[in-house]
Amino acid sequence: MMYDHFDNAVKGITDKLNQDPEGINARKKYVLELSRLGKKLYSKDENIAWCGVTAPFDLLGSMGVTSCFVEFVGAMLSSTQTADYFFEEAEDSGFATDSCAYHRAVMGAVLKNAMPRPDFIIGTSSPCTAGLAVMENFAHQYKKDFFLLNVPQNYTQDAIKYLSAQLEEMVRFVSDHTKRPLSKQKLGIALENFNASSQLLKEIYDLAKTKPSPVDNNILKDFGTVITLLMGTQEGVDICQAFKDELNHRIKTSFNHASKEKIRLMWIQNRIQYPFPINEMLDDLGAVIVVDELNDVTWEPMDPDKPFESIAKRMISIPFSMDASERIKHLQDLAVAYRIDGAINPCHWGCRQGTGIRGLISKGFKDINVPVLNLEIDCVDSRNLAKGQIETRVEAFLEMLS
Amino acid sequence: MSKKIGFTCAYTPVPLIEAAGFSPFRIFPESKAPDQAGHLLHDNLCPHVKKVLDRALEDDLPELEGMVFINSCDSMRRLADAWHEARPDDPIVLLDLPSGINSLSLDFLSKEYKRLAKILFKWNSEPFSIKKIKNEVAKWNLLAASVKKIEDTMSKDFFPGYASGLQQIINTAATDSTDKALLMAQNKIDPEKPVKDGQSPVFVFGNLLFDPKVYDLFEEWNVHVTASDFCTTSRFVTPVDTATDDNIFRALASSYMEQTPCARTMDTAKPGDIAQKIVQRAKESNARGVIGFTLKFCDPYLARIPMIRQALQKESIPFLMLEGDCTMGSMGQQQTRIEAFTEMLGV
Repeated sequence: MMYDHFDNAVKGITDKLNQDPEGINARKKYVLELSRLGKKLYSKDENIAWCGVTAPFDLLGSMGVTSCFVEFVGAMLSSTQTADYFFEEAEDSGFATDSCAYHRAVMGAVLKNAMPRPDFIIGTSSPCTAGLAVMENFAHQYKKDFFLLNVPQNYTQDAIKYLSAQLEEMVRFVSDHTKRPLSKQKLGIALENFNASSQLLKEIYDLAKTKPSPVDNNILKDFGTVITLLMGTQEGVDICQAFKDELNHRIKTSFNHASKEKIRLMWIQNRIQYPFPINEMLDDLGAVIVVDELNDVTWEPMDPDKPFESIAKRMISIPFSMDASERIKHLQDLAVAYRIDGAINPCHWGCRQGTGIRGLISKGFKDINVPVLNLEIDCVDSRNLAKGQIETRVEAFLEMLS
Repeated sequence: MSKKIGFTCAYTPVPLIEAAGFSPFRIFPESKAPDQAGHLLHDNLCPHVKKVLDRALEDDLPELEGMVFINSCDSMRRLADAWHEARPDDPIVLLDLPSGINSLSLDFLSKEYKRLAKILFKWNSEPFSIKKIKNEVAKWNLLAASVKKIEDTMSKDFFPGYASGLQQIINTAATDSTDKALLMAQNKIDPEKPVKDGQSPVFVFGNLLFDPKVYDLFEEWNVHVTASDFCTTSRFVTPVDTATDDNIFRALASSYMEQTPCARTMDTAKPGDIAQKIVQRAKESNARGVIGFTLKFCDPYLARIPMIRQALQKESIPFLMLEGDCTMGSMGQQQTRIEAFTEMLGV
């Protein structure tokens, strides 16, 4: 079923792109590449690793491993409105409804045999303990070997050394399973691609800061989290280039005329995954999400001579996974850089890591005089969605801002 | 009055606190302080963390010289974050605790424990002393050995009041001193009351169950607690194996990580091993059934309950799963279910 879904998506998007060969179509190219990744994951011909969100996908890719974080599948099931079936399976098997729905959806898919069987599992202790628990469940269910990357929360020399050493061990673990050693040349290319993608990302985000912003409410949705799956590849570089071209084109052609952009918003953490017309609502009211919290480059370029240390620094450097003061400072910096009028925090039900500091985030924004709307919503499980209530609160918030 | 260091997680080595000249003060989530923590954090957070934060916000704490936090789970990280806001004058140390057990993790944690020790000695303006640490560890091990003896006795027969007595000893170690707890333990090794028949032998596990009165209630409800695995019971009084490593911090790290860990810690070579460990402990303690008490919103436990249930089913061991805030206040609601469970177990 899933293979067919991705295969149809690849065919459909390819057809559309062929009809418009001159167009930039960044988002379509991005979705096409993700669909190709999905197809590879379900093709049964690849070395597959299910991973935690902060796993080094560039390094794994250079070793010939098709890898993906499981929350990607949870989001996809939600966006295609097939998640309910899997939630029910997980809940019937004892997974609590209080838990994160990204994880409940994929656990249901595992139990329903709807996930590709991995060759091994790479868990990461960041960003959340719930995600790691799901990785252990995967390893238990599939009876596959499990490698865990403990990602320290504090950015210290000891922490970097510790994670670097683990990455070296991970390479040995992967080689043992694939029977392929790490090729320094392939890793060098992956890191080069990663650096090129990172540079383009910085340029994309700088363009998004323009007032009025060339972005709309959909174009960079969850981009920063998901693009990491592709950044070590030439396709990733091409996609980043396409986004940069698209935003430049929009600026040149005044795509977002000043009169359309009345309110500049920040979206905290992840977007709502199931169909919910919040983007349209924001459009109607002249509000543009100019920045998502996770759309940022917080790492230095990868040093091909010190690949493990570079990757370790990158993995620890994500403010979302650090202590609250770092995360809040990052949010404040973004708020200033993007000149936002307000922020929306969709307090994803079941997320102790992200949503757990709702109050502290609100205070952090209050300190810089930026209003925040806390929405109590499950971003993946729509079964208890109070649509009308959410809409009313968003409308009232935007009215207040305008 | 002795100077106290507050802490909240069982991965905090009490001997380090005492070696630096402080008394340990584990902050239990029991308080009449109003619910305020949700405003700083979120309401859908572990009630343990929220209630501890409520105590901090309401100043329902003794004078503390500092706080030790462990980033054992997302909720504990968030507690450390909120503490800065709730009690900005408290010196705080937050330790990074690895999730997996392997040689690199043990090295890293041993450095973290050494960092903690140095900070504690500094807070008390005491010269750093490995000798003092080793002395405190030796004392702690005596306590752990006494606790083990009491647990062994508990697993064989039912002695009224024995389980709550054990909890009082452990709580004394957590909130007062190892010396006092050791004295209590040595006096309590022989049960005060004679064996009583007719109770259902049950192994209990979960996050925390710290109130001695809860164990008295269990007895009223026909439960003989044969053994327990909470971070407020045996998991807290972790013996430190000093024989295998000269480096005391490495010995602390391997002992705390490897012995009956919390659900948040895993042996990656045996995914889901927590389930097997619970089966094993239930069998070893001669239990006929198992009751799990987990905190609402506790991801590490909630995510592992299905595999625990499956493992117990496979061994035909009846299992009752209860969720709540693990305090006396909420325990009354569980009476009917626990009584029905013990009735079903028979004797």
